Amino acid sequence: MTEPVLRASHLTRIYGSGRTAVRAVDDVSLTIPPGELVMIMGPSGSGKTTLLSMLGGLLRPTSGEVVINGTVITELDEDRLPVVRALEIGFIFQSFNLLDALTVEENILFPARLRKGGVSAARPRAEELMSRLGLTHRRRALPRTLSGGEKQRVAIARALINEPKLILADEPTGNLDSRTGQEVLMILHDIARDEGRAVVLVTHDPRVEDMADRVLWLEDGHLRDRSEAHHWARDPVCGMKVDEWTATLISEHEGQRYFFCSPRCKARFDAAPDDWTGG
Amino acid sequence: MFLWAWKSLFSQRSTLVGSSLGIAGAFILVLFFDAVFRGESEQIVAYPAHMNPDVWVMQAGVGNMHMASSYIWDWKMDVIAAMPEVERVTPILYFANIIEARGSKLFAFVVGLQSGEHRAGPWEMSAGRRIAGKGEAVIPAVLSRITGIGIGDTMRITDHDFRVVGLSRGTYSSANPVIFVTLDDLADILSAEGTYSYLLVDAKEGVSPKQLAEGIRRTVEKVNVLTTAELVANDFGLAMQMGVEIIFMMTMICSALAALIVGFSAYSLVARKQRELAIVKALGGRRGALVGSVVLQAVIVALLGYLLAVVFALLVIPQVPLLVPQLSLVVSIGDILQMGLVALLVAVIGAVIPASLVLRLDPALAYQV
Repeated sequence: MTEPVLRASHLTRIYGSGRTAVRAVDDVSLTIPPGELVMIMGPSGSGKTTLLSMLGGLLRPTSGEVVINGTVITELDEDRLPVVRALEIGFIFQSFNLLDALTVEENILFPARLRKGGVSAARPRAEELMSRLGLTHRRRALPRTLSGGEKQRVAIARALINEPKLILADEPTGNLDSRTGQEVLMILHDIARDEGRAVVLVTHDPRVEDMADRVLWLEDGHLRDRSEAHHWARDPVCGMKVDEWTATLISEHEGQRYFFCSPRCKARFDAAPDDWTGG
Repeated sequence: MFLWAWKSLFSQRSTLVGSSLGIAGAFILVLFFDAVFRGESEQIVAYPAHMNPDVWVMQAGVGNMHMASSYIWDWKMDVIAAMPEVERVTPILYFANIIEARGSKLFAFVVGLQSGEHRAGPWEMSAGRRIAGKGEAVIPAVLSRITGIGIGDTMRITDHDFRVVGLSRGTYSSANPVIFVTLDDLADILSAEGTYSYLLVDAKEGVSPKQLAEGIRRTVEKVNVLTTAELVANDFGLAMQMGVEIIFMMTMICSALAALIVGFSAYSLVARKQRELAIVKALGGRRGALVGSVVLQAVIVALLGYLLAVVFALLVIPQVPLLVPQLSLVVSIGDILQMGLVALLVAVIGAVIPASLVLRLDPALAYQV
């Protein structure tokens, strides 16, 4: 059996304490083998970024453990974590997070100084990535002169420079137009399929749903698998079909949950629930 | 990492230039005050240094000339002059007092010379006669410019009036401009007939100053004998001592100011680049390397300020006396090098708080949009 690239067990993160404690991520377990592209969705404030930060060793969980390529990173101290972050994980951020003062090539090579042979050994890999991602002619350019798509391609190249087994991407298409976003998604798809890397993608982009191997839904700190069919509910007011998992407009009446397509429908329901439930 | 630190610093040119100029200003103040004190101190010893006899003979217990009083009987000069090691003895009378010129009251050293004496008089002239006669005085040319009295004008020493007959060069310092009069006039002022203040003794060829000094000590009682180097060192040390506390205070204040500027600029760089620093941490930047980057940036800012201050010190400070002749400024290479060490220290101190901020920085900030 293939060893998983990422294994998170009973991951919990609590902010605050006592009565003000908030469980941003609550007992989440997740295993991702090589080559799998996993999409994590969820409403704003559901704990997606907290989960991604813990998976990437940027945030310590309150409890639980994260294992990447057999290394329990939650047990590593601050002196050993940087090597794991640089060599085992590739980070892709929504706002690209390129270093403003460095050129495209220098940005791509930045994480390479911790790998064996350092920056000079990584140069052929950087050349290959720039060529593959269409950045060769922009190698000396500074980030401020790049388009959004170019910036994200530089960020992807930087994430791949040390050939990590795990890629963590946070809303990689969030700041891109649809065509460029599609292009970036295809690159990430190829990274998982062709290179056998595990890709965790946090996104609201519905296009990813079709290309992801697994879609996970994070809400109120809990993670649920939604790889099967959608869980459709019917708006009791207008009769429209509503996805139970993605719906944010919900009311409870006599122990039953009702899902709405719009605030207008919810308001009408809340004003006289019995009119809509036949009560 | 250091490439990023370097490029990141130089990408914020306004911060870099502003901080470096501020630090340069603080260092320039220190170097300027140091140059003033060093220049003044060198001017204070200008007279004994230029006279440069082999030894100086003075009253026992007196070890310097600056602000000192010394009286020795005139017969002691005859005893010394008769010694086989002695080539020549030149007596002077000397006192330090307030002089009055065109309503200005100034502190001055007054040297009384025997009639027609060249050995102990002014060594370079700007105008007029080198040797003063009875009722006449030779004053520094700078003093003439400051007070407005020129050749032919009258000045007052205690209750005696003197007519200015010559303007000398290199004899001015704000602490003690040197004025030359006749020995008889000064003896009259001091009621010191039959005494001298100092004897400038030149040795015969083949006799070292040390041998001469030992010979005089053996022969004449109740006198102190010093070589020119010893007398100059004593006076220079005394002059520097008078300024050393002020220089130290200025250095401390300006260094603290420079440290504050370095600290503020390093802090603002870190604060402004918090997100980028978080990205660097997220991408595997080690804490040591990040702290090193902050220290490197602080050192660059401090050294740039230091270099600007050095350029100013070497190019501009020496020109100041041309505009303000009463100022004697001497820039010391030793002081400049010392300031370099202060700059490094200032950089490290200034980097402490920004470095601690970097250490506490949460790498998860990289995820914030």
